Parts: sequence; C-alpha cells; structure tokens
Amino acid sequence: MITAAALQHAITAADWEALRPIIWIAGGALAVLLFDLCLPRGAHRISSVLLGVTSLVWAGGFLVRNYHTPYAAFGGAFLSDGFSVVFQGAIVLATLLSLLFVYTFEERISSAGAVALLLWAASGAMLMTGAGNLLILFLGLELLSLALYALCGMASRRAAREAALKYLLLSSMASAVMLYGMVLLFGVTGSVNFSAFLAPPPGNPLYLVALGLFYVGVAFKLGLVPFHIWMPDVFEGAPLPVTAFMSVATKAGMLAVLARIIYVATPAGLANKVLLPIWVVAALSMIIGNLAALSQSNLKRLLAYSGIGQIGYIVAAFAGATALGLRYALFYLLAYLFMTLGAFAVIAALSDQADEGARLVSYAGLAHRRPMLAAAMSFFLIGLAGLPPTVGFMGKLLLLSSVLNAGYISLAVLLIVGTAISIYAYAKIIRVMYAPMRHEVVAGAMSATWPLPWIAIAICSVAVLGLGLYPLVPSAVLPLVK
Amino acid sequence: MTPYVSVAIYLGVATVASLAFCILPGLLAQPRPNATKEEAYECGVEPTSVVGGRFPVRFYLIAMLFVIFDVEAASFYPWAVQMHALRAFGLGEMVTFVVTLGIGYAFVWKKGGLQWR
Repeated sequence: MITAAALQHAITAADWEALRPIIWIAGGALAVLLFDLCLPRGAHRISSVLLGVTSLVWAGGFLVRNYHTPYAAFGGAFLSDGFSVVFQGAIVLATLLSLLFVYTFEERISSAGAVALLLWAASGAMLMTGAGNLLILFLGLELLSLALYALCGMASRRAAREAALKYLLLSSMASAVMLYGMVLLFGVTGSVNFSAFLAPPPGNPLYLVALGLFYVGVAFKLGLVPFHIWMPDVFEGAPLPVTAFMSVATKAGMLAVLARIIYVATPAGLANKVLLPIWVVAALSMIIGNLAALSQSNLKRLLAYSGIGQIGYIVAAFAGATALGLRYALFYLLAYLFMTLGAFAVIAALSDQADEGARLVSYAGLAHRRPMLAAAMSFFLIGLAGLPPTVGFMGKLLLLSSVLNAGYISLAVLLIVGTAISIYAYAKIIRVMYAPMRHEVVAGAMSATWPLPWIAIAICSVAVLGLGLYPLVPSAVLPLVK
Repeated sequence: MTPYVSVAIYLGVATVASLAFCILPGLLAQPRPNATKEEAYECGVEPTSVVGGRFPVRFYLIAMLFVIFDVEAASFYPWAVQMHALRAFGLGEMVTFVVTLGIGYAFVWKKGGLQWR
C-alpha cells in the first residue's frame, strides 16, 4: 500500500517542472473556456486563438528550459529528456500552426470548444512522448483520441459526421487491440515499465503475441499500411485545423512511443526478429501511400496519403536502431511538420465558410489568380517530394544515409522508389495550378482571406527553406534516459 | 504458463455457463405467454409508451453529463476516506479536479447544454 508519507516524499518540485509544459497547455484550455464565458460574442474567436497561442508559447519556453535537464519524473513514469522534449516541441509547434487555421471553422461552431479540445489533444500527445510506462502511454493516447473524436465531427458537413464515427469505431478498436497487447506484455514481464521489456523471459511465445498486438495499435495510430484505411476518410471529413493537427501532432506523439520502444525497450538480441514487422510496414507505407496519392482529387485526401508515405520514411529511419537514425528521423519529422502544415496553410488561406478549398478543381489556374499562394503551395509540394532546395531534400538525404549505414539496402531502395512515385502525385497539383486556364473557374468561393493562415505560410516557407540550407539536427536527443 | 491455467478454466466455465443459459431454456421450458409476461420490464413500473421508440439526441447529452457528475461524486469517496492521510496533497488534487469540472459545468450551462428544448 502506498502511504501518504511516501506520496509526499515521492513528488518534488522537479517532477512538476518536467510536466510544466503540459500543465500550461491543459490549463490554457480551461482558460479558453472561461474567457469564452466572460467575453462578448464577437470576441470569442480572437480570444480563444490568442489564449491558445499564448499558452503554447509559454509551454514552449518551459520546454527550452527542460531540454538540457533530463529528469525521470514521478519515479520514471514520465521521462523528460532531450528526446521527448524535441517531440513535445514538434507537437507544440504543430498545434500552434493548426490554431492559426481556426478561422476556417463555420460561424456556428464554438471556437472556444474547438481550441480547448485541440489544446487537450496536444497535451495528451505530449504525455505520450514522455511516457515511461504503459499506463502513462495509454492515458496520453486516450486523452488525445477522445479529444479528436469530438473534433472530427465539428463541421456540419455529412462527411464530418462520417469521419467522426469512423474514427471513433476504428480507433477504439485499435486502442483495444493495443491495450490487449499491453496487458499481455505486463503478464509476460510482470511490469508496466518500458525498461522491464529489455529482459523478457526467454522462449515465451506470449511475448511475441503481446508485441504483435501492441505494434498493430501503434501502426494504426500512425496510419501505416495496412492499417491506414481510416486516414483518408477522416482527414477529408474533419475540419481543416483538425486535419492539420492530426497529420503532425498525433503522429509525433505515436512516433515518440515507437522510437522509445525500439530504442530502449527492445532486447538487442531479439531486435532483428521482433522489429522486422515494423520495417515491412514502413516499406509498404512508402510505396502504397504514395501510389494511392496519385489518383486523389481532394487535397486533404492527397495529403493524408502523402502523410502515410512520409511517416513510412520516418519509421524507416529507425531501422537498425542507430543513434544517428533517431536524430535524422527527428529532423525529418520537423521537415514534414513545416512542409505539410505549410500546404494546409495554403488550403486555409483559400477556404471560406462554405468551402474548405480542398478540391483539386478549385486550384485550376490558381497561378493566374493568386500567384503568391500558388508559388507557396508549389514550394511546399516540392519539399514533400524531396527536391532541393527545400528541407525535404536535405531530410531525405539524411534518412537515406542512415538507412544505408544501418545496412538496410532494400528499405533504402524502396524509399527512393516511393519518392519517385510521390513526385508524380505532387507534380499533378502544380500542373493544375500553372496550366493555362481554358475556361473561367467559379472563383466566388475562393475570395475570402484571413491574415492568420498567411502567418503560417510565412513561418513554414522560411523554415522549409532555412532548414534546407542550414540543417539543424537536435544533438541532445541521445542518450535517452533509461 | 501455469498461472494462466486458472484463467483458462475461468474462461471455459464462463463460456459453458453462458451457452447453457442461452440453450437450455429453449429445450426445457414450455412457453406460456400472457400479456403481463410480454410487457417490457421497467423496474416493475408499468410502461407508458413503446419501448423501441426514438429518443431525442438531447436525452443522450443529458445522460452523458449525468454520468460525468455521477463519476465525480464517486471519486470523492476514496479521497474522503483517506483525507487525513493524504493531507494537503489530496486536498490540492481534489480542488484541481473540482475546479476543472466546475469550469466545464459553467461552460455547458452557459452554452445551453442543460436546457430541455
């Protein structure tokens, strides 16, 4: 039994320090709700966005402080180390940029509710990045997922309701499978701590079953082939800020969990055997994700499929569990963040209350009507395709080098093949935008502009170009706190 | 594997028992239906309307809110029992919990979630 005295001694100020970024964001969500109650109706949107941005920036400040002081908080339940801080930073950044698209919400939707749920989802994802045991991992995952179920259905379109229901049913199924894997892992090793998984009892077949179920859950949440079917539908139906958030923040949280499992909770002797499914799934994602992107006529769907491929690249970088691979994976995650959210920002700049500006038709001749937006979109797409002078090229170069160094030649070949396929998919959009217009497009739906997506476009363009020229790879990621 | 033998036995007994409950009545019982037996069972109260009817969505909203605050009340009990042992820490946790829920309650109230329209 845990006595009260033990409880009081166990929790120190340093424990709260490690959790402080998350507490600020969760608290910020409460403040958003409170301000919404007190302020007049006209100020709701701006106050929600401002408060959300403020709490995220504050949290970012605390993250910078935590970066150099690794600490295993709450007896190792929450690990605040260079590794998790970088992932948390990516989540904070992605949430910040997604918040800038909140103006694309329909008027009747409570923007305070949406912003608060986004912030809570972000804090759930951040909790996952630092999870040191299965319980905290699941807590974070559920906090993230429950908020997202509600967020997906926030638009009044039919597709939004479809997305919410599909996501709820499939994702809870995946959670259940994953939970079952966790239970078996606990049964086999007698502990919920990741560190205990390093020494599984030899020859127990249940260990493999447990890992298999666990990986299925992870692959589902990451949207890796063959567990990706939900992604395009959910991405298309969900409101734009939510789609943008899901494409990066959700993935970042789960990638952190996967990386921690691969790097600190897989016994070295078994690594080649038990991690093989992960590499196979990553390879499938790179090829099938990009192939499916070829035939999409909705930009949100296309970005969903491209995201499947991109996450595949990142997972491939973990191959061989090299220290360099993790650093490069993190770098590419940041690259993916800026490129994808930049593309979403262009969609947001083009959308208004009636139309989210995601249909490929609305991009016909965009270069003539809105040359700046067309140029920005092309730049982000070139980045996603992995062409210079963008961060996408640099990131892919680093990924390839680490995969080759680890000796996974076939993965590297598939990565190149996947990239080659993806160039067609992205070039298709660029062609649509720059092709001479044959007939007048109904441009009524594409007239509204809000300043906030432009800020996101500016930030992302600078980052995509800047990081491409001066790659800053986080160095204090390793050693991971074990 | 030995600890799992008891789990396997439990699983077996549960499967056999539930199958038996489903199959045996059909074999043994002689159905003698009457009006009272056919009625839907609602805690002994006579049903006033058709049971399979449609509910307004609002019903589920209220029901969900009720469950949230019901669970809130339930989680007070362990704290109340251990209040002296947990001291300031427990009080702090509980106050955080209640304030968080309170803000949610105020939000729901202000947004008209509790109105039956």
